Amino acid sequence: MLLTSVIIIIREVLEAAFLISILLSLCVQLNLTRHWFKWSLAGGVAGSIALGSQFGWVSNLFGGIGQELVDAGLQVFIYLCLLYICFKFIDHYFKPSASNATFRAILTAVIACAMTREGSEIYIYLLAFQDLPEGGISLYSGSIIGFGIGLSCCALFYYWILSFSVSRSLLLGCVLLTTMASGMMLQAAKMLIQADLLPDGQLWDSNGLLAEESLAGQLLYALVGYEATPAPAQLMIYMASGLTMAGVMIARYQYWRHRQLPKEANQYGN
Amino acid sequence: MTKLRTVFSKQGLVVFTLALLSGANTYADKPEFELAIEQHLFEPSVLVIPANTKVKLWVSNKDSTPEEFESYELNREKVVLGGQRALIFIGPLAPGEYPFFGEFNPKTAQGKIIAK
Repeated sequence: MLLTSVIIIIREVLEAAFLISILLSLCVQLNLTRHWFKWSLAGGVAGSIALGSQFGWVSNLFGGIGQELVDAGLQVFIYLCLLYICFKFIDHYFKPSASNATFRAILTAVIACAMTREGSEIYIYLLAFQDLPEGGISLYSGSIIGFGIGLSCCALFYYWILSFSVSRSLLLGCVLLTTMASGMMLQAAKMLIQADLLPDGQLWDSNGLLAEESLAGQLLYALVGYEATPAPAQLMIYMASGLTMAGVMIARYQYWRHRQLPKEANQYGN
Repeated sequence: MTKLRTVFSKQGLVVFTLALLSGANTYADKPEFELAIEQHLFEPSVLVIPANTKVKLWVSNKDSTPEEFESYELNREKVVLGGQRALIFIGPLAPGEYPFFGEFNPKTAQGKIIAK
């Protein structure tokens, strides 16, 4: 029970922890307020309890595919939020200013939603197994260890990104947010395949090269959406999501670069 | 922003069309299979299904505790609460063996699907 709880909690915590560390470190680098963070944590805990306690009802929605649709919906929402967030990060890099209410609300929502997805499962797991004879101390100590490892990864990642210059950390952060967001779309596609709304299939099996259940496989799953046996629909959606996000960011970056060039030219002219 | 909206709507349209196209198959007849979870064990622990065919797998959890049906090989994960029955679509699978396990009780809850 101890080891099982450690593994379950790490797996659930990692993705949201990476997301939090990237967003917070970029806010620090770009001098943006982090007051929204307490609300996103509160929202994530409230969302986890709300979804976890209504899980039976949610699962039975839409003829038994409610769980898949809610999960896919949350993932798509997170992707769209991250797209907007990266766009705004680039704006703030070129034109430093205070974040507006919409930006802060979306930062709050994206972390709350990422936590809700994973937290609801932790809530169901802990609530159900705490009263069993084999649960109790080993369940809670395992969970605390799991949380500890997840949060340590989060802290390490946060300080790692802060160790770069502002421009490098923005580039690194935006690249990681793009791969994470595309990974979320890959997972959304997986849920839609499971619900029979997208066609299934298998393009390749790279388990021999890197097993998905291994530690490295799980880390890559959280950071770049690694899937050892992807379906064609998953790969298509992953590529489309990644290219769209990268395209939007490059276009925004170029827009600011072009606006700055005439100014620089003037300075040299004078 | 206009550019951004156009990109969003194009991508959304592709996903929606794909969903609609494949959704047309959703209500066609598919073979159904039953799997039970009892005492943190899968019953049957080996399930034979036809290869290259999409099937409906009903997972009934007869325990009072929840379980998560999970399989890396099948790319499936679904939480089934205690006393509930959940639907998972599987396949079409190439002939072979596809292990699955219960994430909440991985020591005991193990099984495999054989596609023939």
